[in-house]
Amino acid sequence: MSGNLVNALTLQVLTGMQLGAVYALIALGLTLIFGTLGVVNFAHGALYLIAAYLAVFISTELGFFAAVFIVPALLFMVGWGLERGLIKSFYSRPHTDQILVTFGLALVTEEGLKWAFGSNNIPFPLPQWGTGIVKLQEYLPFLDGFVAFPKWRLVMILVALTVISLLFVLLKFTRFGLVIRAGMRDSGMLRFLGVNISQRFAVVFGMGALIAGVAGVFGGPITQVSPDVGMHLLVPSFLVVVIGGMGSLGGALLSSLILGMALSFTAEYSAVQQIIVYLVAVIVLLVRPRGLFGKQGVFE
Amino acid sequence: MNTAHAIKESKASAQAFFSMRDVHAYYGESYIVQGVSFEVQESEIVALLGRNGAGKTSTLRAIARAPQPRVTQGEIRLDNTALHTLAPHLAARAGVQLVPEDRRVIPGISVEENLIVAQVAKPLGWNLERIYEHFPRLAERRKQDAATLSGGEQQMLAVARAMARDIKLLLLDEPYEGLAPKIVQEIESIVAQIKTLGITTIIVEQNAIAALKLADKAVILDMGQIVFTGNAQDVLDDRKLRDRYLAI
Repeated sequence: MSGNLVNALTLQVLTGMQLGAVYALIALGLTLIFGTLGVVNFAHGALYLIAAYLAVFISTELGFFAAVFIVPALLFMVGWGLERGLIKSFYSRPHTDQILVTFGLALVTEEGLKWAFGSNNIPFPLPQWGTGIVKLQEYLPFLDGFVAFPKWRLVMILVALTVISLLFVLLKFTRFGLVIRAGMRDSGMLRFLGVNISQRFAVVFGMGALIAGVAGVFGGPITQVSPDVGMHLLVPSFLVVVIGGMGSLGGALLSSLILGMALSFTAEYSAVQQIIVYLVAVIVLLVRPRGLFGKQGVFE
Repeated sequence: MNTAHAIKESKASAQAFFSMRDVHAYYGESYIVQGVSFEVQESEIVALLGRNGAGKTSTLRAIARAPQPRVTQGEIRLDNTALHTLAPHLAARAGVQLVPEDRRVIPGISVEENLIVAQVAKPLGWNLERIYEHFPRLAERRKQDAATLSGGEQQMLAVARAMARDIKLLLLDEPYEGLAPKIVQEIESIVAQIKTLGITTIIVEQNAIAALKLADKAVILDMGQIVFTGNAQDVLDDRKLRDRYLAI
């Protein structure tokens, strides 16, 4: 393999991982909420949007690191409040009602932001330490010559990996995680065992929003900050969830990586790139109608 | 003894340990439990019998405060706590423990994790050590996914999970259903052990003879209403009664 090809492939893979990282963070929240609460949360893109706007203002006033801590915490509260105040009343209603109310919320948020800040993109300057490029050849000896990758995009990948690992540890190795995993399978039985699972599920909704908050802070500078970004991200993220299998966290991760790669490797052919996400969805769903790791009986 | 205490005492003694009074419940539009009233004394075992669709499982689910059937009228009390106003997790914390018909062991997590999940909310019953002492088969399979257990083992786990909680009233729904005769014997001996512990129990079972041999009292339901309340032995002795309501 020639050096140029290796260089190009490495860049494509990294770009794919970065694109996948943003989708993964949004899809993780979506699938976590769907898997535990059975709610298809079309307002999840709006949560990202709120986070990105908050991040711009907080980082301008208080610095980027303040935004890193404050925005996800605020989003957790927004998510928790949303679940307790509104979504809770929709559990026993059909999925279509849930979609309507969350989609409505998304539209209200989008239009509200448009009304308050206009429809144009608000510049989200990178913090000083995140600007510039990384010379990949210094870290990856198999690369040939000068190969540069934007530093912020690497940060995005690292942030996504960190969030995914933390979530994995929380769900797999803590008692809270065990209760949530058990609740995903049979919340009614947990209630018979004295567990107030609804309270814990509200925390899960908050966590989904918190992850969207992290995505908004770190993804904002990449995806831009404008009212339509939420919806632009929601559709592919939702496809990620469907391709991965409704409610499967592992499936969501794998399919966000697949979609990121598909987008990255078709970047030179813009006509193909525009439809590739849907093409992958069609192919996967033709072969596996429940998605990659979908379980029987979920959303059927 | 002060007066207030004396009044409380006399009130408690007048009330049964567990009671249902004129309970009505619906599954959607279907009127399933039609004014059921009965009492259970502490440490008693009651067999709740009747044909398919008589409302036995619905009665148990109403006691455990399951979202379905919906209780529209009546009172359910356990040890002076009004259950009929409580959410299911609070009913469980008040001491009601349902071992459901389909066992409902939680798949995707291990046998031990199924037991741990039962010990998240207080009050707690047996610890893991004691559970494994009584259910050695579960100790062998502790790391195994609960979904991979055989039917009998799942039933053991469902009962063990109940014992992991501090129980005032155990509700056993069809514990022998779908099990091979040899396994039924095993579960029977576990239930007999529970009896020696003096745990107040209501057992619903298609295999009425097995339930009656175990029980002190019998309550027979027909079309959502109680048609007989009395000693378990009386039902065993009364062929006509059994033919009419139980078809055995």
